[in-house]
Amino acid sequence: MKLYLTANIIGFVCSLFGFIYGGIYYFRPRKATYAQMIALALGCNAFGRLFYIVRLLTTGFITGSVQLGFFGIAGSFMFFFSSNFGTLDSLLDDRSKTFRKYRLIALAAPAVFILMYVLLFLTADIRMMWKILGGVLTFFTVLSTYFNLKHLIFPDVDLGVVKCLRPYNFLVLIYAVSVYTECFALSRDDAVLTLVCCIITGLISAAMMPFIVRGLKKWRT
Amino acid sequence: MENMIYILFICMVAPLMLSLPLIKKSSRGIMIFILIGISTALFVSEVNGVFLRTLDDDFLLVTTTVTPVTEEIVKALPVLLYAFVFTDEREHLLTASFAVGIGFALFENTYILTQTAVNVTIEWALIRGFSTALMHGICTAAVGFGMSFVKKKKKLFYCGTISLLLLAITYHGIFNMLVQSESLKYFGFFLPAVTYIPLVIGMVMNYRRMRSKNAKQ
Repeated sequence: MKLYLTANIIGFVCSLFGFIYGGIYYFRPRKATYAQMIALALGCNAFGRLFYIVRLLTTGFITGSVQLGFFGIAGSFMFFFSSNFGTLDSLLDDRSKTFRKYRLIALAAPAVFILMYVLLFLTADIRMMWKILGGVLTFFTVLSTYFNLKHLIFPDVDLGVVKCLRPYNFLVLIYAVSVYTECFALSRDDAVLTLVCCIITGLISAAMMPFIVRGLKKWRT
Repeated sequence: MENMIYILFICMVAPLMLSLPLIKKSSRGIMIFILIGISTALFVSEVNGVFLRTLDDDFLLVTTTVTPVTEEIVKALPVLLYAFVFTDEREHLLTASFAVGIGFALFENTYILTQTAVNVTIEWALIRGFSTALMHGICTAAVGFGMSFVKKKKKLFYCGTISLLLLAITYHGIFNMLVQSESLKYFGFFLPAVTYIPLVIGMVMNYRRMRSKNAKQ
């Protein structure tokens, strides 16, 4: 229990830092919606972690039944997806044939996560609950990582913003792998692996907002 | 007493409905949304009852895992309809969704009061009044914020609203869990205020900034 608690406290503190940093920086009128969504993603992750912390402090377990904290963490991917799909992608990709190869290459990220789901959850000898939760997480990561990989490899044609946001998109891809591995660790009740994943996720969560701030500043100058 | 929830519903909704034609047009909208909030609370109580029976009356599991999901989804539906049919203006949607949340909390608090009337204290009333009402208002308003993109940015509306709904569900779950624990319940009582106060300060600061900017122009 102590390892799970430590892991989630690390994750919570780092995500909260990113959320507050992004909140102070971007939650003003006429500030980039793109960055606001990322700040909210970190907030969602922080709330998910807080749920786990409270659950551990009150009942002492998080792996036995479905936890709403899981949806907080999965929800962060929905915000990452919103930031790329909802605000930036239509400005970059005009759906022309020129960019078809980038759209196709970007499919590699969802394909990897689907493959991981089949191998680690669907065909594994684990409880049905984890197979469903793994599926839910796969759905959200697939949506998000497609656009993250796409914007990582996409050519910077007109705006110049893609290049500045590459470090952020790369970080989200690592974040996705780390969260996915954490879900795998939780399904096997592996506290040590959960701790390692939470440290990685936490460090990325803390680093994400400064990268966004720097990227968007660089783009404007 | 049997049918207490319906008796309470009629007692609360009937006078409010009768007052509608007499209220100023600007306030009428808010009153309607409070009424909608009360009605959603009645509907959700039935849904939650079904889940409670299905899950062997495990009250803790239902209130920390199921009710945040059902309540947030049902509260969001009238706001979604309002955003689609009437207006997608952020100010209107935030007011409407906050009113739905407050109406919901009003009915929930009153019903709990009738069920535990012997044990309630002034402290209970203060806690329920401030923390629960605020929590319901904040959660629905957060989802309402996402719906303001319904016509302006359709892509952002779909994914943004779902994301905010997930955020609201998690927040609601944390609150329910905190208030039910013996050792951490005071954190739960202050959680909505801790969220609400920075939001209000931020909004006031933004408003002032915009006003001074307009005055300079």
